[in-house]
Amino acid sequence: MNRIIGPFKGFWRTIKFIHNKYRKPKIEMTPFVKICLLALRLYVFVLIGLMVLKFIVTVK
Amino acid sequence: MNVLAKIFYQLRKYSKAFRMFALVAGPGIIVMVADNDAGGITTYTTTGAQYGNHLLWFLILLGPVAYLVQEMTVRLGAVTKRGHAEAIFDSFGSFWGWFSLLDLVLTDWLTMITEFIGMTAAMSIFGIPAWITVLACWMLMGSMILTGSYWTWEKIALVICIGNLIYIPAAFVVHPSVPDIIRNSVIPNLPPGGFTNDLFFLLMANIGTTIAPWMLFFQQSSVVDKGLQEKDIKFGQWDTAIGSLLTVVVAMFLIIVCGKLLLGQPIESAAQAATMIMPKSNYVGTIIAIGLFDAGFLGAICISLASSWAFGEIFGWAHSLNHKIKEAPWFYAYYFFDLLLAGTVVLIPNAPLVLITLFVQVIATTLLPPALVFLILLLNNKKTMGDLVNTQLQNFLNISIVVVIIVLSTMYGLTTLFPNLL
Repeated sequence: MNRIIGPFKGFWRTIKFIHNKYRKPKIEMTPFVKICLLALRLYVFVLIGLMVLKFIVTVK
Repeated sequence: MNVLAKIFYQLRKYSKAFRMFALVAGPGIIVMVADNDAGGITTYTTTGAQYGNHLLWFLILLGPVAYLVQEMTVRLGAVTKRGHAEAIFDSFGSFWGWFSLLDLVLTDWLTMITEFIGMTAAMSIFGIPAWITVLACWMLMGSMILTGSYWTWEKIALVICIGNLIYIPAAFVVHPSVPDIIRNSVIPNLPPGGFTNDLFFLLMANIGTTIAPWMLFFQQSSVVDKGLQEKDIKFGQWDTAIGSLLTVVVAMFLIIVCGKLLLGQPIESAAQAATMIMPKSNYVGTIIAIGLFDAGFLGAICISLASSWAFGEIFGWAHSLNHKIKEAPWFYAYYFFDLLLAGTVVLIPNAPLVLITLFVQVIATTLLPPALVFLILLLNNKKTMGDLVNTQLQNFLNISIVVVIIVLSTMYGLTTLFPNLL
């Protein structure tokens, strides 16, 4: 069992390591950068929301 | 004597510059020509068949747009010596890093499926079964990278790029109206019928094929893999400019061919266009089919590499074509895995290939705006870019382009999801 789970645990550890390594953005957070990132977050969430909506409508 | 010495000096200067350019050139030309991939060829055949030469001016406009966007990756790669994925992770944190990486991987894989669809459709015109085409492609694509040298890979890719120019002689064979071409190239105009949903969709598809997220990742990583330095940026910019010229010229010639031979006929794919042209001109139909295969092949090798480079950068794998397979096993494993998976999907009977093609457009739409915004922000970071940050003019042009692309690509994505929106 360990032979099967082992590689996945290793992979998960790598993901966590990468996640922590880049946790803090290194770019200087000027107001312009902050506004851009906030706008992008909204854009992405709205678009993903619409895709989910489309999926639900299609399935129904 | 003095005049002769001056001429000799100038000739030597230009010859040295040309030799330098020949050494540096590659990533820009390859990425731009690969931009005319199987999906792109389909878009151009549809554009030509539906609107003739009326949209040539729009294609010409897209050339400088593609150059301005891609040129930023040359500077970013040469200065930071990091690929685009790593730059995003490092500068904008894990959230945007994972988002960009996963979106890139998904988009690239789906786009690669469309490349295999194009290649198998093109070869089926010559009676070659899909499984033979896929198998042959896997073997060719694999052997290309086994040399363990970026330079060799690049030279082979450049030869494949030459194959993309095959549409140029085809346009001379069909004897199009030259005054009509010049008029439609110089004077912006709308086709008869005005601005319709179909026209909007096709304009967006043309933008989508000209500027794609994978191109940003590919060119920056290849600039790094090739080892370009800050002093090489000027040549890298020329490389990109020539590439953008080639991509527009190829697209225009294909539109001209289809405008002449297929005007008014509904076209759904480039392979269909080649089949329909065959009875009119066997030579031109064959050229379109060969060009479609070439475009799909070039697109597949570049897109797969873009993903492999991105994964290698983030996961810390050795990720250079200069490494042998033993030295960079994961990098090559991902490259092959991507190709195998994409090729296999095409071979599955009754696979939803049309749905996949549509899905590619929507997913690519979600990645493009963040990728472009990140590019602008990175190019304005004085700390990393130093004197090579965007100038005010570059910022004005690039921000304008990015805003327009974001608005239009969002509308494109939405109308693909909800066709009755407009």
